[in-house]
Amino acid sequence: MDYSNRTLGMNGNSWSYWLNTIALLAVCGSLLEAFYWQIFFDELPCPLCQLQRVALTLAGIGMMLNIRFGPSAVHYAIILASALGGASASVRQILLHIAPGDAGYGSELFGLHFYTWGLVSFVVMIAFCAVMLCLDRNHLSIERPQLSVRTSATTHITKVVIGLFFLIAAANTISAIMVCQFGSCPDNPTQYLWKLWP
Amino acid sequence: MIMMLPFLTALIAIGLTLRGRRMPSIIAWGFTFIIFLAWLQYHMTDKLNISL
Repeated sequence: MDYSNRTLGMNGNSWSYWLNTIALLAVCGSLLEAFYWQIFFDELPCPLCQLQRVALTLAGIGMMLNIRFGPSAVHYAIILASALGGASASVRQILLHIAPGDAGYGSELFGLHFYTWGLVSFVVMIAFCAVMLCLDRNHLSIERPQLSVRTSATTHITKVVIGLFFLIAAANTISAIMVCQFGSCPDNPTQYLWKLWP
Repeated sequence: MIMMLPFLTALIAIGLTLRGRRMPSIIAWGFTFIIFLAWLQYHMTDKLNISL
């Protein structure tokens, strides 16, 4: 079977490419929003918040693999496992603050705390995988060498999204060092343990 | 336990994907996921702050 014409944007598989790009952009948006509150409202991430950021990044890697190498059941399994892990962390944090009178951790956005939005995001990711596994059902068993054809067809928009994702992941690494240094994080962080600036 | 470690290994996985190295990237993802689960277990075994 000839796969040479199955480059990105030239067949039904482009749906997968663009939907994964949009999903990766949504992940970038979620991580940027958390950063915005951290930088401008001085709301430092708690350990479970950090874990939810890790889970978002891990799910983003699955989307990035789909974009870079084409859709694969393994890539969707990566997104699913990451979303389940992230949802576990979100549920744990929701339960920590479920008692009546507990104000919760951090600010609210549209009436929900960020960890509740985190759970919503991870559930949406699981639904995304369910839909994509149906849409991509005919493209999941392509031999790997053929998929490299798509690499050269990566568009500029996707390059920007992937670049943004890489930068956010790098910034998160620096942020984790600043908040936790090289150990475990304080339960309720109120100041950076290590500052890049005086 | 080092909290910055999963961020660092995830960054490595992203870098490997960018360089077109699929399998090493998946391995780096798996390594990150194991660290993530270890941290999750650590933070999920605290007592809940509720009285029953």
